[in-house]
This record gives sequence, C-alpha cells and structure tokens, in this order.
Amino acid sequence: MLENEFDKLLRDALRNEVKSAIGSLNGLETRIVSELEGRPPRLRPSDWLRQLLAPTRAGRIGQLAVVTATAAVFLVLGVFLAHETMLVPGSERLTPSLTATVNREILFVVPALDAKNVAVVGDFNGWEATPLSDDNHDGIWTATIPLSPGRYEYAFIIDGRWWGQDPLADEYVRSFGEYNSVRYVGQVGDGA
Amino acid sequence: MIDVEVETTRVKPCILVTEEANGSVYRGQDEVSLLRASLNGETEAWGEMVSRYKDAVFGLCLGFLRNRADAEDVTHDAFIRAYDNLRRYQLEKRFSTWIFTIAANLCRNRLRYRRNHPVVESPPNLAGGRDPAVIVEREDRWQRIREGLSRLPYNYRAPLVLRFYNDLSYREIGEILSIPEGTVKTRIHRGKAMLRKEVEREVIDHA
Repeated sequence: MLENEFDKLLRDALRNEVKSAIGSLNGLETRIVSELEGRPPRLRPSDWLRQLLAPTRAGRIGQLAVVTATAAVFLVLGVFLAHETMLVPGSERLTPSLTATVNREILFVVPALDAKNVAVVGDFNGWEATPLSDDNHDGIWTATIPLSPGRYEYAFIIDGRWWGQDPLADEYVRSFGEYNSVRYVGQVGDGA
Repeated sequence: MIDVEVETTRVKPCILVTEEANGSVYRGQDEVSLLRASLNGETEAWGEMVSRYKDAVFGLCLGFLRNRADAEDVTHDAFIRAYDNLRRYQLEKRFSTWIFTIAANLCRNRLRYRRNHPVVESPPNLAGGRDPAVIVEREDRWQRIREGLSRLPYNYRAPLVLRFYNDLSYREIGEILSIPEGTVKTRIHRGKAMLRKEVEREVIDHA
C-alpha cells in the first residue's frame, strides 16, 4: 500500500468512526448550558483584586471606602499576628493560626537530566501545561508560580510522560488510578 | 501576552434575528464575541462554542481513548473545565489548541484510570450504504486500522489522531502534548510504521 493511500485510509477510518458515534452527543450543548446556568467562569486572583478595586456605584468615595476597609482589616490582622508571634520567655514561638490571603511564589522543581520538555499541570492552571525551565542546563527544571492559600493538586509532564510523585509534595492522591502530588499553600504543611 | 479581559458591560449580540427564528442569537457570531459573552456568564454563548467544537473534541477523545462512553464523558468534562478556566485563555492562542490541550490532559488522566479499571469496548457500528459487499470490505479495512490504533502505545496514537483526525500542524501537536516538534514528527513516522505492521499482521492472521 502506498504512503498516501495509507494516510487516506487512516484518516477515513478515524472520521467514519466519529461520524457513526457522533449522534450520542446530540444535546450536549443544552446539557452543558443548563449545568453551567448562573455560574460564571472562575475569577483569577488578579481579577478578584481588580474587581475589588473597581469604582463602585457610589463612585470614587465608595472605592476609597473599600480600600480603606481592606487596609484596616490588614492592619488589625498585622497587629494580631505580630502579637501572636512575639517571643515569650521560656516558650516556643507561637505559630499564627490565620493564613494570609495574598499570593505566594511557589517553586516547582524537578530533576530531569536528559529531558527536552518539562511542564507542570494542576488545578491551579486548569490542568494546562505551564513550562519549567532549565536555563543553566544542569538538569534541574524550575518554575515559580504565584498561588493563593489553598490545596493544590498537580503533576509534572516530562517529555510527554506523567510524573505525579513530587518529593517536595505534602501528600499524594490517587486520581484515575495514578498518583498526583498535593501541596498546601499558606496552611499547615505549606512547604513554601 | 493578551488576556481576554473581563467586560464590565454585557456584550449584546449584534445580529438582527430573533432567537425563535434562528435557534440561538449567538449563531453566526465570531469567536471573540462568544468568548467575551461567555466570560460575562452568558452560558448560551458558551453553548454555541460547544456546538462548534464538540465534533473535533469528541473525535480527539475517541481517537485517544478508543472507547465511546469514555470519550463522551471526557468531551463533556473538557467543555466544563474550559468554561471554569476561561479567564486563563489567551487570545493569541487558537481556541482549538487550548480546548484540545485540556481534552488531551483529561484523556491522559482517564487512560491512567482505565489501566486499572479496564472496560470491554462496544462492537463497532457498520455504516449503511448501497452495495453491502463494498461496504463490508471498506468497513473491514477501517476496522483493522482502528484495532491497530487501539494496540499502539498512547505516545504514538495521540499524535496520529491529532494529525489525521484533527488536521493539526506538528507545532500545534507539540504544544498540545507538551513535546518538541521534532519528537512529534518522529512519533508520527514511527506510529504509522507500527500501525502498518499491525494492520498487515492482521491480514496475514486472517488469511
């Protein structure tokens, strides 16, 4: 069989298979629309901040009021945390029980000596690959990603292969029969 | 890098047809308008995006997973996940590349699950036609290809599906699967050679 003939056969085989099965997707858009009804896309932390700082209906004064109130909350929180972490003679340093709401730069590191392409996927990037870099070619790939406090599930993709057990993870979970790593940011077990 | 900005005002559909007359006021609108409307929580606009891309996403999932029920589930999940993460979508990327990336990652997860929870694939449907003999022979050849594809390792099967079903360039395939373009070319070349061998072996076994 000629090369072009084989390509056509492969193409037709795939297309015909989809054609004969596509009927089962009838009404998918309606199902998805009703499932998503009243649920806007998730806000990124930067959008959340932008919305917070956007002028309110009351105009500039309303905006200032929001900023002032936020600053006051942070001030009270700061004073509280400073008080909580003060050293008491003969005692251990107290750990603050509250977590900050600001983003933290979380470092993702993975050793992959001969890899050509390394990325991290997780619920923080919608399981879409964020590339890691190895600028000095020592086989240690890194990426720093700003994350707000919370629990994050993720895995590395090394040259297209899934690698779900990061030694720096706080724990591992089984997802679809394989491991994913979990990190807690701004909470107990936070490696940041 | 240009992100899709959050619109503070609702994007009004700009076509002069009623919803009843055309089924959806969003039909015929360009993708950017649909995405902006979706970002404002207009789920009907997202429904139109689903309608435009569902065949391509389903084809990818079916090709990757080789199981119709799983492909349906993952197609549904891919559109839900894409909607939830719509603010991460960047306009300089093609929407198809973005949604295919999400679908490919979900397929990879599902395949991993299936390794420990195998299912029996439903028998293929024969397509209708005029001459049963011609149809049976043609279907038989397609079926051999599909069975060969099911036996190929995922790393070779996925680039073949993206190339021959989704008609994507090597660069786009590399982007979706997180592998360099050179590796895509090698895998497609080797994948085809392996598939030909599988199909020819099938013919000899059946003779």
